[in-house]
Amino acid sequence: MSDDLRRVTELDRLIHEPARLLIVTILSTVESADFLFLQRETGLTKGNLSAHLSKLEDAGYVKIQKTFKGKLPLTICKLTAAGTKAITQYRQQLQSFMEMTTQ
Amino acid sequence: MKDDFAEVEQRIKRYWFSDGIGELAGGGMFLLLAAYFGIPQFLGENNLLSVILQSSLVLVMVAGIFVVRWLVTVLKTRLTYPRTGYVEYRVDKKHAIRIRTLAMAFAMVIAFLMVLLARSIQIVDSTVLVTGVVVGVVFVILRGKSYGVQRFYLLGAISVVIGIALSFSGLPNGYSLAAFYGLMGLGVMISGGWVLFRYLKNNPLPTEGDNE
Repeated sequence: MSDDLRRVTELDRLIHEPARLLIVTILSTVESADFLFLQRETGLTKGNLSAHLSKLEDAGYVKIQKTFKGKLPLTICKLTAAGTKAITQYRQQLQSFMEMTTQ
Repeated sequence: MKDDFAEVEQRIKRYWFSDGIGELAGGGMFLLLAAYFGIPQFLGENNLLSVILQSSLVLVMVAGIFVVRWLVTVLKTRLTYPRTGYVEYRVDKKHAIRIRTLAMAFAMVIAFLMVLLARSIQIVDSTVLVTGVVVGVVFVILRGKSYGVQRFYLLGAISVVIGIALSFSGLPNGYSLAAFYGLMGLGVMISGGWVLFRYLKNNPLPTEGDNE
């Protein structure tokens, strides 16, 4: 297997899925965001977003907390340290892969 | 791909300004400053209220900032978060300080050059000229460029134009500053009000079962 292909197979498949990549990218730019915000930004249905968040939570990449802002109930999602490390590594891997293929 | 990530990041940052509430509050702060500079000029230097106002700029600003932050939080909690969701932004203090320092240094250099030009003309009020340029540069660099919000470029340009126009007006210093902050306050509030109107029109409160 060539180095280029090996690099692709080393990408974190959990994050590589487009919807989850978008969720993780959004969460990596903020301290936290609620379910409604993620739903609007990703364009996913509630069920779809829930399923993707559950997978990310199971992997330890996202922490989900039910709380209140004033009287407003919120489902807050936050990237964990493991999630931050995973998206940083993913971006680095992808960047180096892109550089190699454009050379 | 790098650009895609950057675009998503900027869009998320831009979300803070999508409802115009921050501008409405900022415009209120400008109007407060207009009153701060205008009232002592109107009442005269020896009036008790003028003396109290002149010696309490820091207090007025700090109190104003606290009130504005509280008001923004209350309005966003009632209007924005139920409609389009809640976001807590990460504060990168080092980056923020670096950007602000650069913006202020750039603004001061431009302002200094404008003052040199003003002195050579000798009929202009350099204080309001400097204020207009500094506020304009802050709008363009900190808001327009950092967040990609196009209307802040316009507000920055308006600030510079008002600053230059008032510097030639021949008004006493207090009145020209009051006029500058008053006009900017109105401009920023009109901008914020229009954005809020459009935001509320385009984002009705979601009902149960939406997007299922």
